[in-house]
Amino acid sequence: MTLVPLVLGPLEAKGFTILRSGVRWLVEDGQWCPAHRPIGFVNVSLEPAGKLAGGQPMFADEMELQVAFAPRVAGRLKLDGEMARGGYLSIRTVAAWDADTQVGQIETDEAPDDGEAGSLRLLMLAGRRMTALADVHSGLLPGWHSRSRGWWSEPGTTPITLLSLGVCDAAGVVTGAQTAFTEMFELDRDATQMVHIPDHPIAPCLPVLLDQIERTPDQYEAIAQDVHRHFGSLSKPPTANDWMFLGAMLAALQNAPLKDRYDIFSAGGLQRLGPPDAVLLSLAVEPQSILRHRTLGYHMHVMRHHQAAAGPAVRAWLSSAFEPVKRPIDAIRKDYERLIDSLQHLSGTRVICLNRMSTSGHEDIASYMGFDAPLSETLSNVAAKEMNLMLDDIATSSAIDIIDVDAIAADLGGAEHLPDGIHQSGPLQTILRQEILGCLVSLRH
Amino acid sequence: MILEVRLTQIVPQMTGATTECFYAAPGDALRMGSKLIDLSVDLSSAFAQECPPVSYYRIVLRESAFLRSIETRPGDFTAVDQSIALLSTTPDEPLDEPPSRAARVTIAGILPHERMFSGQRI
Repeated sequence: MTLVPLVLGPLEAKGFTILRSGVRWLVEDGQWCPAHRPIGFVNVSLEPAGKLAGGQPMFADEMELQVAFAPRVAGRLKLDGEMARGGYLSIRTVAAWDADTQVGQIETDEAPDDGEAGSLRLLMLAGRRMTALADVHSGLLPGWHSRSRGWWSEPGTTPITLLSLGVCDAAGVVTGAQTAFTEMFELDRDATQMVHIPDHPIAPCLPVLLDQIERTPDQYEAIAQDVHRHFGSLSKPPTANDWMFLGAMLAALQNAPLKDRYDIFSAGGLQRLGPPDAVLLSLAVEPQSILRHRTLGYHMHVMRHHQAAAGPAVRAWLSSAFEPVKRPIDAIRKDYERLIDSLQHLSGTRVICLNRMSTSGHEDIASYMGFDAPLSETLSNVAAKEMNLMLDDIATSSAIDIIDVDAIAADLGGAEHLPDGIHQSGPLQTILRQEILGCLVSLRH
Repeated sequence: MILEVRLTQIVPQMTGATTECFYAAPGDALRMGSKLIDLSVDLSSAFAQECPPVSYYRIVLRESAFLRSIETRPGDFTAVDQSIALLSTTPDEPLDEPPSRAARVTIAGILPHERMFSGQRI
């Protein structure tokens, strides 16, 4: 057994002083911990070391800024209780980041093969709040974010970026159980940045993404004016839920995550990344019918439970100001091809797509007589099979990687690991994470 | 002969289902292949997810029968193993006898549609 001191290790941002809070532990003293699993975290802030050149300071729009840390070897932890300052001192940044700060020790039977074993591996986390009002202080990346990201790298390396734009089937895999990318961090030793955009309140289906890429500032202004005109002239005032929905909706319409660039800091200092090297989409988010604004032409896809979260004025507006447009499978295919082409020209971003579970142990169809034709508009599994085949067809001529959820879940046991076809079990998520990381290998230079 | 449709354990984790719509009314003569009812199953209580894991199913008859009574209405929650409907092989048999057996049905996962109760609520 070797007792290895655990130190924070280097973290740099030229022109800034990095401050940190007291430690908040994710594990108990004396607990055995696998290598690369985060054991604690601190909040950090980047304070300008000199005069600011003007404009907004870096990371100012990401009010959640944290660093989680993990041992590089497995073993039993001896934590330094003094590191947890407690109360607001474990929330506010009260100490300068010092690479030599020892947070504890790890008793390990592994033979560390270099001098780095005691230097903790760092997972940097940043969350852009949907509203600055969402100042929640509990845990990793707390609160409500319009964008969250986590990155990890060693000096001399540049992370590649995966942008996750799916719904639950992608979100759970990428962000993990603590919604802080910790599982991906644990699996992936290469320099990587994971970015997640939630489906609040507009789900990221292809027409919505294409609109975001192509929308001009003037077009956004026209949307905002139209919203203002409509809701400002109602005889019955919108409710609080209506206004909150509209605020989140306008933020989603104004942003174009596929064009985003990212500032990061790490042991190697400050770097500017982006646009994303790869984007993770979900076939499950593509609806067979989508709302299109009757006059301005933009698309809206709001999941049922998010429609229910809106107030009555928004629900009435969605019904009156938008028209449903059918999306036959060929239209969905064309949207995929258009997005892939646009991204190739715009940024070279590679598309990775999760296909759909297309079998179920919960059915006992003896005859299709009781189901209206075409079956793909009635039976969810037939619809999923046709969509999966469409995706395979696209892959024969376009640059897209398909994560075969259908085959993996069937192999593992769909009823056990994907009971509703969307929400995966932990073991299935782990396999899908490995598949996604496998797709990223070819993008690393 | 009295036949019964009870809610079976469609998904292992479910405790029950919500009636979304009925396709027939008491007294209707239903053929083999007739749609009977659409249901939604919400596994929210079994899984902590950020969106409700809801799936939709249709029960279709695999034999001819007369629909005699419906035990649920759109929006009602029916627990697993509770009765959904009673049918009979002739139109006017008395219903005072216990069902002879379960009606033969097919259950299939379906896509949500506009006639569903949950769709109309929004």
